[in-house]
Parts: sequence; structure tokens; C-alpha cells
Amino acid sequence: MIGEVLQILVNGLLAGAQLAVPAIGFTTIYAVLRFPNFALAGHATIGAYAGVLANVAWGWPVGAALLAAFVVAGLVGVASDTLVLKRLRPSGSLTTAIGAAALGIVLENIIRFIFGNDPLGFDVPVLRDWRVSLGTAGGLRIGPQQVQAAAASIIVMAVLFAFLSFTSSGRMMRAVADNPTLAALKGIDADSVARRANFVAMGLAGFGGMLIGLDTSVDPLVGARVVLPVFAAAVLGGLGSIPGAVAGAFLIGIGEEMSTLVLDPSYRTAVGFVAILLVLTLRPRGLLGERAL
Amino acid sequence: MTIRIPRRTALLAGLAAPFITRTGFAQSETIRIGSLTPQTGAGGPYGPAMVKTISAVIDDVNAAGGVLGRKIELISEDDETNPDAGVRAARKLIDVDRVVAILGTWASAVTTAVAPLCWENKVMLFTVSGADSITRLPHQGYIIRTQPDTNLQSARCADFMLKQGSKKVGFLSAQSPFAVSTYEQQSALLKAGGAEPVGNVIYDGAKTSFRSEIDQILKQQPDALFLNGYQPDLVVLLRELYRAGYEGRRLTPAYAANDKLLAALPPEAVEGLNAYAPSPDISSPAYKTVQGIVRANPDPYSCQTFDHANLAILALAKSGIASGVGIHDAVRSVGNEAGTAIHGAAEGVKLLASGSDVNYAGASGPCKFTPIGDITGCKFRFDVVEKGKSRLLQLS
Repeated sequence: MIGEVLQILVNGLLAGAQLAVPAIGFTTIYAVLRFPNFALAGHATIGAYAGVLANVAWGWPVGAALLAAFVVAGLVGVASDTLVLKRLRPSGSLTTAIGAAALGIVLENIIRFIFGNDPLGFDVPVLRDWRVSLGTAGGLRIGPQQVQAAAASIIVMAVLFAFLSFTSSGRMMRAVADNPTLAALKGIDADSVARRANFVAMGLAGFGGMLIGLDTSVDPLVGARVVLPVFAAAVLGGLGSIPGAVAGAFLIGIGEEMSTLVLDPSYRTAVGFVAILLVLTLRPRGLLGERAL
Repeated sequence: MTIRIPRRTALLAGLAAPFITRTGFAQSETIRIGSLTPQTGAGGPYGPAMVKTISAVIDDVNAAGGVLGRKIELISEDDETNPDAGVRAARKLIDVDRVVAILGTWASAVTTAVAPLCWENKVMLFTVSGADSITRLPHQGYIIRTQPDTNLQSARCADFMLKQGSKKVGFLSAQSPFAVSTYEQQSALLKAGGAEPVGNVIYDGAKTSFRSEIDQILKQQPDALFLNGYQPDLVVLLRELYRAGYEGRRLTPAYAANDKLLAALPPEAVEGLNAYAPSPDISSPAYKTVQGIVRANPDPYSCQTFDHANLAILALAKSGIASGVGIHDAVRSVGNEAGTAIHGAAEGVKLLASGSDVNYAGASGPCKFTPIGDITGCKFRFDVVEKGKSRLLQLS
């Protein structure tokens, strides 16, 4: 039993690390632009496809392909925000959120139109899991590729924290997130900050989408499958809080896996919904509170 | 005495005339047939070819002069492999387009949701879904299914696994209307054959990882697994089973393990995978026609939708009634053993118009139906994957 719980904990941590990157993207946009950008799903899918193209068609190594996923999804994020969402923002965050959900569907179907519905795989071998013996408590299995993905997530998070703390772009984003009026008075150009926030956030979504694609396969629904747990993670941690999104992602990841101990696995999706429900009822600001960007 | 008709009444009568006499010029209208196939979602890989074969049959019949003196018009909708979207699309087909039949529903969940709309509106529903519950709905004869039900499939799969020598069989099933029934039927047959069914883990196919689910079933140490999923989740299952070091047998429906899936996975992860499928009748002339339409070896669904379109049109011609009721009344009598053997609706419509009987044999099989709308039999094929390529093991 202890072995089983530990195994589930490991599975949950690895799943959480995968969720954390797109969840940071989601919460960053919320912090700076104050609306939940559900088009994240479409951007995660675009990142995954950009990664597949780079890796399979052009033979780039996985690291370079991850960079391509980030850059392509980021650029698409800037373009789609400038062309579509920016025009909706004056009508309020609900309108923009609905517009973003629609935009996500459009992006997903553009991908489907170009690449079709069939799954695509990366040009990387599948490795057998590492086995760790726990003596009488059984054994653990840990996927080397999932550990690599988790490591990549952690590196990206570290780079992001450095970006927000030590660069002027990062400080401007935090200033706008903290108090948009004051930031404007200080002469910070809101449009330019919005573009940078979108590039970084959607880049993270694309990066996360490719990590998931590496672990599974790439099809037009890659993003749609993660958008609920990503949203749940961001709400759980407090919308707008990056440390909150990371904590939320791990909690959702572990929670979903843990639920299989007591519930039929087909109810795993319910964990995300229950988490959103509980947080909104008991602590609407989320675990770490908002605006801690 | 003169009858005075007020101007207003006259005006109303004038406006109403076209509606009252509507049947008068309805003869020149087209007969509309709807297709409701998965263009997107888990069934997305199949929908486009399914519509292509339906459209080819209709073009063929129209080129030969149509049926009952009218042209046929195809209205195609996407069910998104999603019951919600399926119902919306079916409503549009029935209420707005006034189709006489809906062809090609694929996922069992979609068919189950759409079926009541069809029988209540007397629209014929032709489906390729496998769940048993579908033909047991109170459909009054308005459902025809060309896919073998799970009973027929389970019997063949259990038999296959027993012949391979499997002793402990585990099941990993995507949430679907047949996840439970398939397990129950196969369990009974496996037990009768001396093997032990060791559990059925039902998972949510919309997840990106199934590690805990796999741990759960592998704890039972099965020597064979029946993977009852769809393509997007089967990709993940196969990859994770390989990572977990599982070395036993794997049997899965071929609609999930198609060539595209094999291409998306490294060969070592799919080596030895067995896939089964109800097989089209590859020796039939109708199958050759479908080959010509899709310009490749057709999947079972495009063969079945080819038959749907032919059966619907032949039934219209046979009954002489341009409605769902007409198809309902005559669909079983266009496969009359005593009639002239035919393999396409265009030739059949001519024969029926001249008063002869026809015996339609399709691309998917003989197309003979039980009273509740199930096919009476068909062929099955079992394949094995070797070095990333699928090879036919047996066809019977």
C-alpha cells in the first residue's frame, strides 16, 4: 500500500510539473490583462505541432524543438491577441474570455485543416522506466523521459522568475499587474507590455504543449485536453499568482492521481472541477491569493 | 345570391395557396439524405472517407436519373464525435433540411443520443456504432446497423485470445457505452474457455497520462490485455505499457490501432500488437467500387456508409415512398435472396422500377438484418504488428 501511494505521488508530481508550465502562462495573462485566456489550448497545440515539425521534418534535437515550440506559439499569441482579443478587451473580461475560447477553437481547427486528425510522434526512442526497489513495500517505476520533461519545466520556471525579477521587461509586466493606472502614469506602455506578456505566456503554453506531446503524441486536441486542469491549477493557486499556479499545478496533478485510490479512474476529470468549486466557495482568492506576480 | 369574398380573405387565400398545394410541386424537389459523421474528435480520422463514399453513391444514382423521378441531395454534418454536437446537427438535419435518413453515426454515444430524434420524426438512422444497447432501444425499426454488435465481436475476440493461450486477461477500457458490456461478455467466454479475467479498468480518454491506471491493471499480472480504447488514448496506453515493461499480449480494435497510430509510435512499442476488425467483404464487387472511390484500401466504416447510401436509396425505390417511412418499410426487402444480385443502387433503382426484385450485397458484407436492425453476420480479420507494419494473421 505504501509503495502504491508513493508511486501515485511520483506520477502526480511528474504530471504536475507538466501542467505547471502552461498554468504559469495562463496566470501571467490573467495578471497583466485581467481575463482568463482560454485560447491557451489552441496555442499549446500550435507549440506541439511546431515542435514536431522542427524535430521530425527538419531533424532538430529536442532542446531546439522546444525552443521552436516556445517561439512559434509566442508569436502566434502576440498576433492573435493583437488581431482579436485586444479589440474585445474594452467590452469586459467576460466578453474577452468567451472570445478567447472561440479563438482557441479556431486555432485548433486551423491546425486540423493543415495537419489532419491523426496523431504524430516525435523522433525520440521510447525508454523503459527506471525501477526503484522499496524492499517489502514493492517498487517504484519512474519514466526517464518524464523526469527530463519535469527538469525542462523547472528550468523554464527558473528562467521565467529571473526574467520577471531582473529584466526591465519583467519589471514592467509586474508593475502593470500590480497597478495598471500607476504603471501608466509612470510612462509604461500598456500595449507593449501586453505584447510581451502574450509572447511569454503563449510561448510557455506552446512549450508545455510540446512537453505533453513528447510524453504522449501530438494531435489537434493536445491543448483541449489540458485546458481544464490548467485552469483549475491557476484558480486553485489564485488567478494572477505565478507561485500559486505552480503550487496549484502540483496539487491538481497529485490530486488527480490520488483520486484513483478511492474512485474509478474515469472520474479523474472531476478532481479539477471539484477543486475549482471548493476554492471558489471557500477561498475565492485562491491558495496564495492573487497578484503575487 | 352571390357569395362575397372579402378582399382580406382573398389575399390570405392567395398567400396560402402555394403551401396547400405544396405536395403538388414537391415532386420536383430533391430528396434529401443527411450524413452525420465524425469530421473532428476521436472519430475524425474516419469521417471524411465515410462522406466521400456516400456522396459517390448519390452522384452515381443522380447521374442515372435519380430515384422516384427526383434527384437526391446530400446534406453533410459533423458530429464532432460528441453527443452534444451530434444532437444539434441531427436537429438541423431533421427540422431544417427535412432529410429522410441520417447515415454514418460513428461513436456509440452519438448514435444513442441521436436515435430518439430519428424514430420520433420517422427518419431512418443508419449507423456504424458497435454498442449493443443501440439496437435494443425502442426504435420501431428506424435503426439499421452495419457494424457487428459487441456479442458478435466479443465472441471472436475471446476465442482469439484463448487460442493464443492466454490465461489471465486484463481489460483497459475507455469510457464508452460498450466498456462494461464488452468486459462482461468476454469474461464469461474466457471463463468458459479456462482463462481468468482479472479486471476492467475504465479510464477517461481525455487525459494525457494513464500511468496509475496501468499500474492498477498490471498489479494483477495479466498475460494478455484487451485495450478497448480509441486512437488518441491508445497511442498513450501503448507507449506507457512499453515504458512499464509489460511484455504480454495486447489485443485492440483496429479502428484504434490504424496505420497512423503505428506511424506515431516507435516500432518497439507496438511490436506484436494484435488488432481485430469486422472485415469488409474484400472479394465483393461493391468493395472494389469503394476502393475506386477512396483510392486506397478502404476502412470498414467507409464500406459501411457506402452500403448505407445504397440501402437507403434502394429502399426508397422499392417502397415508392420518398420518406423515412418508405425506407423503414422496404430496407429489409432490398436484400431479397430471390432477386437479381446487385452491388450498387444505380443499377438496382432501374431493376426495381421495372418491377423486378433485387438482392443487394454490399462492401461491408451481405447486409441482411435481424428484426431489431443488426446484421446477421460478417467476416473478421486479425492482424499482428511486426517491425512497425501490420500483417494479416487470419480472415474468417
